[in-house]
Amino acid sequence: VRPLAAAPDKITDKVVESIKQAEQACSDDPVSGECVAAWDEVEELSAAASHARDRKKDSDPLEAYCKDNPETDECRTYED
Amino acid sequence: MAICTSLYSTCSISTPSKTHLGFHQKQVVFYSSGIKKTSKKGGGGGSRPYVITCTSNSQTVVIGLAADSGCGKSTFMRRLTSVFGGAAEPPKGGNPDSNTLISDTTTVICLDDYHSLDRTGRKEKGVTALDPRANDFDLMYEQVKAIKDGIPVEKPIYNHVTGLLDPPELIKPPKILVIEGLHPMYDSRVRDLLDFSIYLDISNEVKFAWKIQRDMAERGHSLESIKASIEARKPDFDAYIDPQKQYADAVIEVLPTQLIPGDNEGKVLRVRLIMKEGVELFSPVYLFDEGSSISWIPCGRKLTCSYPGIKFFYGPDAYFGHEVSVLEMDGQFDRLDELIYVESHLSNISTKFYGEVTQQMLKHSDFPGSNNGTGLFQTIVGLKIRDLFEQIVASRAKTPVEAAKA
Repeated sequence: VRPLAAAPDKITDKVVESIKQAEQACSDDPVSGECVAAWDEVEELSAAASHARDRKKDSDPLEAYCKDNPETDECRTYED
Repeated sequence: MAICTSLYSTCSISTPSKTHLGFHQKQVVFYSSGIKKTSKKGGGGGSRPYVITCTSNSQTVVIGLAADSGCGKSTFMRRLTSVFGGAAEPPKGGNPDSNTLISDTTTVICLDDYHSLDRTGRKEKGVTALDPRANDFDLMYEQVKAIKDGIPVEKPIYNHVTGLLDPPELIKPPKILVIEGLHPMYDSRVRDLLDFSIYLDISNEVKFAWKIQRDMAERGHSLESIKASIEARKPDFDAYIDPQKQYADAVIEVLPTQLIPGDNEGKVLRVRLIMKEGVELFSPVYLFDEGSSISWIPCGRKLTCSYPGIKFFYGPDAYFGHEVSVLEMDGQFDRLDELIYVESHLSNISTKFYGEVTQQMLKHSDFPGSNNGTGLFQTIVGLKIRDLFEQIVASRAKTPVEAAKA
């Protein structure tokens, strides 16, 4: 398993931390509200990380460049 | 279906001026006649045309989409907004962590923004985001109702990265408002505001497989952590989220395939589109013959299928005591352009031209689910919503005339 297109480190670190916290919270009482809320936080952060990853994956380097520099040779497009 | 019943409708007059002065002149007036649009043609050079737009005739259509986190809401949203044309983007210049998506016709708001407890608050109280106690349904109702009535609102933003409630953003009434999240049909007041509702029902096996695909590459996650997270949230999910599906006008159910015995990988899927009968302005899709029960394997000379093939089913059924029509697809396409063969045998799909479903699917062939029933049925539901929207707009345009007759 390799982090092929990793999410921004900020979120990834939060996911790692939240999993640790959840495992800790559940070691005392596996059905407590505390444990359930901790795993819910893991889910929320994992979803946010996955959305961030998708956004990063979608961005084409040339398209990103052309947004800022539409007049350059490699970016100019004419309708007709 | 909601029609404007107020005595006075709100109108605004704007004077399009040639010289742009940097402000937009807009005025709210009351009127009681059935004028929709008037334009005074200027005979001389002095008068300018007045455009009167009445918000009563462009009242927002509200769609609700319910699904658990990580179950493809965003893919569905991208397919839906694409049917209406134009790309959906976050509000320009606002909070970079805003959950809202805006396109020309559609505004999608995420109901997580109505959390009453932030992440720390939920942890202190020991409740999940699925718990109604963590959500402010009064504010949700008030704001959705205001938007439906054509009034802009300041909606809070729940920041998924920090877990905090950020300062609010301004949401203007769009033509179509989609509210997506965990609880769009939970509160009966919000539910009554919805013109159409959809529930994405992902079976436990498939949910597990999808979350493995999503999270295994992420640092810190393991099979155990993914399993533990699903297990921990399940009691709240079963108590508060799952029961909402009985209220949905359309349910997309995603199950493991039956074509491969014992398959739990979640790559080949059996997808069921369950459509409620008797919903105003919504006529369910059917295969070959409306109301019959049909099992169809399209593979053969006209459709290339490799193992395990494709199987369709169509028939009437009962769902939570409601009469429904079910359209089911098991298996996946090898060649997306051959979908046209399947499309040509479906009726009532509300397309504007032959092949529109296939064209929409080809446009987004990189989205998850494009080679199976999830993409196909999401696209079809998107077209049904467009049809519903157009019917509502058409019926509103007629209303003032009918009101005058009565």
